[in-house]
Amino acid sequence: MAIDFPARCAEVVNKDPLVIENAKSWSHYHTYGGWGRFFTGLQQKKILATRCTNAACAEKRLWLPPRCECPDCWHEMEWVEAPTVGRIFTWSIVKYPGELFRLPPDTPLISVEIEGVCTKVMSWLKKGQPKIGLPVKAVFNTDKPTNTIVDLAWVPA
Amino acid sequence: MIKFGRGNLRIPRFEKPVFVVAGGLTDFRKKYPEKNTSQLCTEGLRMAVEENDLKVSPEDFRRRVNWVVYSQFADHFGDQLLAAAKIHDYLGFDPLGNIEVKTGGATGGSAVLAAAQAVASGYADCVPVVGWERMDEVSTKVGNSYIASAACKDFESELGWMYAAYYALMAQRYQYENNVPRETLAKIACKNHEYACYSPYSQNPGKYTVKDILDNEIVSDPLSFLECCVMSVGAAVLILADEKTAYELSDHPMQLTAICGGSHTLRTADRRNMPILLLPNETEATYKDYFSGKRSEWPGFSSFLASRMAAYLAYHMAGIKDPVEDFDLLETHDAFTISDVQTYEDIGLRPYGRGREFIDSGEAYYEGKLPTNLSGGLIGTMHAVGATGVFQLVEVLWQLQGKWDKFHADPERWTRYGKKKPADFRSLQVKNPRRGCAISHAGTGSHVTCAIMEKP
Repeated sequence: MAIDFPARCAEVVNKDPLVIENAKSWSHYHTYGGWGRFFTGLQQKKILATRCTNAACAEKRLWLPPRCECPDCWHEMEWVEAPTVGRIFTWSIVKYPGELFRLPPDTPLISVEIEGVCTKVMSWLKKGQPKIGLPVKAVFNTDKPTNTIVDLAWVPA
Repeated sequence: MIKFGRGNLRIPRFEKPVFVVAGGLTDFRKKYPEKNTSQLCTEGLRMAVEENDLKVSPEDFRRRVNWVVYSQFADHFGDQLLAAAKIHDYLGFDPLGNIEVKTGGATGGSAVLAAAQAVASGYADCVPVVGWERMDEVSTKVGNSYIASAACKDFESELGWMYAAYYALMAQRYQYENNVPRETLAKIACKNHEYACYSPYSQNPGKYTVKDILDNEIVSDPLSFLECCVMSVGAAVLILADEKTAYELSDHPMQLTAICGGSHTLRTADRRNMPILLLPNETEATYKDYFSGKRSEWPGFSSFLASRMAAYLAYHMAGIKDPVEDFDLLETHDAFTISDVQTYEDIGLRPYGRGREFIDSGEAYYEGKLPTNLSGGLIGTMHAVGATGVFQLVEVLWQLQGKWDKFHADPERWTRYGKKKPADFRSLQVKNPRRGCAISHAGTGSHVTCAIMEKP
C-alpha cells in the first residue's frame, strides 16, 4: 500500500524566515442554555430580565443581561419584562471594529440606563447621534434575526 | 459582591519572605517571524540567568529550579494548546512540575502571584516565571476579534469585537463625569511613547506632541491609535526565590513584599454600586463631596473596583500609607490612556475624580515624585499580553538594583535587536529607588494584581 502526499499544499507566506499559511474554516455551535429565553424574547419584541425569587436574599434588583441564578445566593431567578425605554449612559463610535462585527464601521455603541435595572445594558444606536442622557427606545431585529445581542438596538425616543 | 463580610478583606500574608533575583526580556515586535515562541522564551531565560550577575553558573542555576510558572494570555493567538508543556520541554525543565496561569491582560501579574505563593508557602524555593505572547499569526483585525473574545461573548463581544471600544465607552463617561480635558489623556501617550525611545526592547517609540496625539486617527471615539497599546510578540522572564536561595544566587536580590489580586465583573455594564473602599491615605471625608453633579455611583464606568481591591490588600500587606510618598517608581497597565487615569485614582495616587492631577502636576514623569512607566509601558514598548505583567516587574527589578543603564544604555543592547542607540538617548535610572509598584490588569478591570517590590 502506498499513500500519496496531501493534494492540497500550504501557501508559503514568506520564504526566509519560513512562514506558512495555516488556513482554518469551521463553525462553533454555541449554547445559550438558560439565557436562550432572552434571545427568543427579542423576537417577541420583549426585553426579558431576571430577578431573584429567594425570600431570604436581599438582592431583588432586575438583572439585564439576565442571569439564571442569583449571584448573591445562587437561587433561581424569575423572568420579568424590562422597560423598553431608557437613556444613553455612555457611547462610542467604533471606527475600526474587529473581524466578525456584523454592523458597519461608525456604528455608535451605547450603554443604556433603564429604570429599575441594576446594570447598564450594552447595545447600539440604530438612528441619530449618541449623547449622554439621550432618551432612547428599543427596536428589534425580527426580519432576519441573528439570534445574537445585535438583534436589540435603540433609536431616539 | 457589594457587601464585604468577615474574611473577604483579610490581608494576605507570606509565610516566608519572597525575593526576586533576576529578569530577562526579548525585544518586542509587531511581527517576529525570525524566532519561534520557544526561542523567544529561551532568549528571555538566558538573559535572566546569564546577564543578571548571578553568582552561579547557568548549569548550577538549572539544578536549583524546582517549580516553573508559565504565563500566556490566549491559546487563540498561539494556536497551540498546552503550549506551556512545549516551552517547558524546550527550556529543559522536564520533569519538574509546572503550571500555566491565565487571567487575560493580568496574566503576567497573576503568574508572578502564583510563583510568589509557591515560594511563600515553602512549596518551592526557586521559581522562574516565563511569560510570552505570539500575536502575529493573524491580521490585526482578527487579533482584535480574538482579544474581544475576552469580553462576554453572549452579550458584549458582538458589539464591536474590539476592546478599544469598551474602553472608549468608559472614556466618554469618565470625561463627562470628571471634565478631563483630552489634552491630559494625550499627555500620557506622549510620555510613554517618549520613554519607549530610550528602551532597546520597545516596539512603538516616538516623540509626539499633544496635538499629534489628538490629530491621530481615531480607533473608537475618543481614543486615537497612539492612545492604545500595541499588539506584540515577545517574552519576559522573572526569577523568584526564597531568602536563602536568593542570596546564594545574587548579592542584590529585591524583596517582593506584596502581590495581591482583585476582580470585578467581565462586563463593565454589570457593576453594581457600592460604597468606596477606602485606601490607607483616604477617609470618608475624602469623598464627602464626591457624589454630586454628574457622579452618582461607584465604581460605575469610571473606576476599577478590581484595582482598588488589589491595591487595598497589597498596601496593607506591605505597610504602604501613601503610595505617592512610599513608592519611588510605578508601572501601570496603560493599555489605553483612559485606563491609566482611572488607575491613578483606583490605587490612590489621587482621590477619585482627580486622577488628572497626577499627570498634570508632573509627578508621573522621570524626576517627578513618582515616575510612571519609565519602561515605555504598553502604549510605547510592548503588550505581548502574557509577558506584560512579567515585563513590568523585570523593569522594576532593574531600577531597584540600579541596573537600568546596564540593560538600556549599552549600545550593544540596541545592535542585538538590529537597532541603533538614539543620539538623544537619556538615562531613566531613578536615583536610589527603594520601592516600586506594578499594576497588572485584565479585561475592563476583570482581574488586577498589585505588586510591591523593595530593597530588603
